[in-house]
Amino acid sequence: MSLALELVRSSLLAATPVLLAGIGGAYTYFANVFNIAMEGMMLIGAFTAVAGSYAARSWVVGLAAGIGGGLVAAALFTLFAVALRTDEFVTGTAINMLALGGTTYALRQMFGVRGAFMSGQIQAIPRWNLPLGPVLGGHPFVVYVALALALVADWHIRRTRFGLRLRAAGEDPRVLDAAGVSSQAVRAWSIMISGALCGLAGAYLSLGYVTLFAENMSNGRGWISLAVIILTRGRPLGILVMSLLFGLFDGIGMSLQGTAIPAQLTQMVPYIATLVALRVYSLRSRNEH
Amino acid sequence: MRRQQAVAAAVGVVVSLLAGLMILWLQGYPAAQSYSALFSYSLFSQFALFSTLNKASTLVLTGTSAAVGFGSNCINLGQVGQFLMGAMAAAAFGIAVGLPKWLTLPLVILASIVAGAGWSLLAALMKLKWRMNEFITTLMLNFVADYFTQWLISGPMLDPRAYSPMTRMTNPQAWLGMYNGLSGSVAVAACSFAVTWLVWNRSKFGYECRVMGQNPSFAAAGGCAVPRNFVLAMLLSGALAGLAGGLMVIGGMQHRFVKGIGANYAWDGVMIAIVAGNSIAATGLYALFFAVLQTGAMGMELETAVPSEFALVLQAIVVLAVVASRESTRLFLAGLAARIRARRAIALGDARAAQAAQLAQRAEADHAAPTGGGQDEPRA
Amino acid sequence: MSRDSENGAPGIQGIRMSGIVKVYPPDVLALDNVDIMIRWGTIHSIIGENGAGKSTLMKVLYGITPASAGRIFLDGRQVRFASPRQAVREGIGMVHQELMLIRSYTVWENVVVGSEPAAPLGTLKQAEARARVEELVTRWGLNLDPDAVVGDLSVSAQQKVEILKLLYRDASVLIMDEPTAVLTPQETSELFARLRQLNQAGGTIIFISHKLQEVLDISDEITVMRKGKRVMTAANEGLSRTDLARAMVGRDVVFAVGRQRSEPSGRGGTVDVGMKPRDAGSPAARGDERPHAARPALEVRGLSFTRPGAVKPALSDVSFDVSRGEILGVAGVEGNGQFELVQCITGALKPDAGSIRMDGRDVTGASVMERRRLMCSVPQDRKHTGSAQTMSITDNAIMAHHRLRPSLSARWRALLDPRACRGFCVDLMRRYSVVAPGPDAALAQLSGGNQQKVIVGREFSHDTGFVLLDNPTRGLDVGSIEFIHRQILNKRSGGAGCLLVSADLDELLALCDRILVMYEGRVAALLDGETADREAVGRAMLGLELSPEPGPGPGSEPEPEAGAEPRTEVGSE
Repeated sequence: MSLALELVRSSLLAATPVLLAGIGGAYTYFANVFNIAMEGMMLIGAFTAVAGSYAARSWVVGLAAGIGGGLVAAALFTLFAVALRTDEFVTGTAINMLALGGTTYALRQMFGVRGAFMSGQIQAIPRWNLPLGPVLGGHPFVVYVALALALVADWHIRRTRFGLRLRAAGEDPRVLDAAGVSSQAVRAWSIMISGALCGLAGAYLSLGYVTLFAENMSNGRGWISLAVIILTRGRPLGILVMSLLFGLFDGIGMSLQGTAIPAQLTQMVPYIATLVALRVYSLRSRNEH
Repeated sequence: MRRQQAVAAAVGVVVSLLAGLMILWLQGYPAAQSYSALFSYSLFSQFALFSTLNKASTLVLTGTSAAVGFGSNCINLGQVGQFLMGAMAAAAFGIAVGLPKWLTLPLVILASIVAGAGWSLLAALMKLKWRMNEFITTLMLNFVADYFTQWLISGPMLDPRAYSPMTRMTNPQAWLGMYNGLSGSVAVAACSFAVTWLVWNRSKFGYECRVMGQNPSFAAAGGCAVPRNFVLAMLLSGALAGLAGGLMVIGGMQHRFVKGIGANYAWDGVMIAIVAGNSIAATGLYALFFAVLQTGAMGMELETAVPSEFALVLQAIVVLAVVASRESTRLFLAGLAARIRARRAIALGDARAAQAAQLAQRAEADHAAPTGGGQDEPRA
Repeated sequence: MSRDSENGAPGIQGIRMSGIVKVYPPDVLALDNVDIMIRWGTIHSIIGENGAGKSTLMKVLYGITPASAGRIFLDGRQVRFASPRQAVREGIGMVHQELMLIRSYTVWENVVVGSEPAAPLGTLKQAEARARVEELVTRWGLNLDPDAVVGDLSVSAQQKVEILKLLYRDASVLIMDEPTAVLTPQETSELFARLRQLNQAGGTIIFISHKLQEVLDISDEITVMRKGKRVMTAANEGLSRTDLARAMVGRDVVFAVGRQRSEPSGRGGTVDVGMKPRDAGSPAARGDERPHAARPALEVRGLSFTRPGAVKPALSDVSFDVSRGEILGVAGVEGNGQFELVQCITGALKPDAGSIRMDGRDVTGASVMERRRLMCSVPQDRKHTGSAQTMSITDNAIMAHHRLRPSLSARWRALLDPRACRGFCVDLMRRYSVVAPGPDAALAQLSGGNQQKVIVGREFSHDTGFVLLDNPTRGLDVGSIEFIHRQILNKRSGGAGCLLVSADLDELLALCDRILVMYEGRVAALLDGETADREAVGRAMLGLELSPEPGPGPGSEPEPEAGAEPRTEVGSE
């Protein structure tokens, strides 16, 4: 297989978690919830997915546990940020820390290891050998789910009753309340949706991308998703494109490994690429205004 | 107001400690014993107390760094990167500079401050020149700084005698002393804390930053130079984080930049600032409290085998509980006052209605018809 | 009246609210045992000054604000509205004072949101919704494009969208909360015609206002509220403005309040009618007559500004002067450039062209702090630009003084002297009779009127020749309004030139020596404050060309000087 093909394949794999979390974040973006807990939701999802898959020796249970983990984190976020009116930034930061501390603690407490946990007992998400050629075929099926979800979310946000209310809740919650629809409920739903999708992204990380759990394995992907959402103003199709672009840079970084350039420097590529993308965006938005 | 906040903080701390107790108990650890270990290993001996203070000296710096940032409405989440760059600068200068101690130490400290401030200046300039959100750029710069320093310590600056990535040891002229286990960095941190407090609470610049943090439009309308203050606040924030990193190198035990030197100090600082509501004084208190938890957690692991990472969980719970109880005690008290006021109003209204009915009856008896549809209330 | 005795009374057809109490946390008694009866098919006005509880009462009826106590009956049947949804189901709809519209949505999207026709899976039935909206627009002659984006519409058109929302939900009771506050007199008549039309079609209309004449013009029945209590309900016939005003305020009100314009150094008949706005240099001619007026307090010349990306300029070629000892009013429908004008003067915006001079000095490119030495400014939005609500009164009071007033500095000039700051604040609170727990209390703890006094006090403590006032009394109670008006008049008699931007025509007519009307970013007219009437100002606000002698319009308010010939000046095209 040629190097270029390999690059595209690995881009797609690397793009998937950013895409999934990004779609979830699009919902909170439109509901005007400052959701910086995506990183934590993803990390919790990654951990619970591994724990579920390990305990039940089943990837289905693992996947469900991953989504469930994300949902629990989202429920916590909703409890504090929506029900108790705690500041969203504060809640998000605390949940990120809880995720980091909690998974590290649980890793030692449950599996008695530090750093990373791997075992043959962890069942990975199966790959689908779709007849889509050498680039698109043979990925973990969550990759396809993610691509489809981008389309579904686009329709859901733009064309449905929920979408209309979601965007209204984001732009002016009082209007929605005056129309007899609880804006708080709409915001809560948006957080739960983002939690489920971030959990799925985490499950993909720990059961699809690799088959292990490592401390802080989300490694800033939730934040890159947030940057992607800001760059695309939450439009799911835009998120799709930007995530693939991010994946490409990740892929480039990885394919540079083994060359003369040290690995630590190639690993910087996606983060610098994000900065560059933000710069390009700021140029564009200046022209628009 | 302030008393209400103190009550909320106390409630939050107690609730979260109880929650932690519950978690331990549910997992089958000897909960009470673990907690007593937590405090005896962090407070109840000179060594324990000094260890706590050493840890607090770092936390107070990252904490004030975040508080100054957030309090001025600069969402600087780049403490991780600024800390690492500060530590790296201290290590590099400490290795390279061999002047007398009284010259070397200030120079190394200055280097770490400049490095931290410089790293945050990057984000400040990106915001100012290119309107890039500092909250994302600082996060991204964290990863850049992390990989950059990792590369330095495993490549160009790697100690050839070491088994894992780390720099060489710094010159002894760049070491802060240890006094019975109390690090000299405690003194440096205390000084910088005092200066930060003065700047924040007493200076014109600090006043403008505080206003900017509460309402930037008001600050701008009042003639404060908001962009300039933004850059200065970012610099101050970065400088404090950089200093924290520098002190890890010059004040610690290892006197070099080792892999993982940042631990979670930067994010701990963010959490401390958040629970302290960006008040500098409260940041100092919570830094001490978090230091107690972290130092004590080591003792807890020793005594009852609870993984020391438990401190991280407990910290996050403290943040959520304190902040949530701050808001909900306010709402609860306001709601309570409102209910009491309403009840009083209803009672008064009933009394008035009864009185009016009586008057009307009497008026009817005197057959003087009441005014059409109108209700003339007796003025109280 | 009695709380319960009428429950089952037959023959009373309508909405009855009984014993309504509402306390806003922690301790604001907004409604104090209010009983009210609204008959079907009437236009029922509720009148009262700001803070009397009119809006709160209606929000309770609409189910958006839960009452602390009390009951609501429809035709004697008790109902409970926990959400507007339930009120809507009973045919009650409300147009809020601040319009409740999603600015980025189209008209039809705004109309349907919350009651959307949807297919399975929640897909919007877009065509159906749009068609229904279009049908309603035609039937009621509303003249709206269903696909127009609401943010692009004028305020009066947005209000029509709000009415459309109610019609779409088949509301038979329309609550209109201060609908005329943002309209010109002409737009108000159009709205009244529409309300009468709806009323004739069988609708019940609850009309909320604090403007006496409007209420007398449109209502069948009038309820007066004061300090959270209902003080009177009566049929319209036979009521006069004086009756209503007395009931509203609780004492006799002199309508000419604030009209005492003739100050010693005041206008003295020097109305600048002939002065062309662009005619630079001429103001000096009249300056000699006044003690303080060596130079105009403010000179604006050829000010133009276009928002980046916008097609139409927000300001084009605006020129005028504010003399010392004068109050120049700025009128205009919201969004006709007043906002940008104020921002250019404060320094928040940089104009594309033109110049601004204060006290003779060119400040066009000056920073906000430099301007602060020459001007003080009471901003429009108390909470947004006027204060930091969470900070102490002292912290709010020293803004800008902290740099300009040396007495607040500590020995080391970079530091503030906390005791001096506190003393300054205490003094300010005394001079401006601010009611507050103390200088360390958070500003948010104060009532709106007291907050505004702190802001006005802070600004007026700057000894500057030019005073910018942007809607300084919006949303305040009568007492605070009077207080602030007195302070403004004091400033003027002290020789300062004031620029008063206000959405309240009555305020402008009461205080101003001259009134500048803005329309689409231009100076549409410069009217003499003494002779101008509501009609003339309203016509200029709508951009209708002014004849040199505008006749008194139909239904205009009787003005003391209505007979006098308004000397007006039409701006360039």
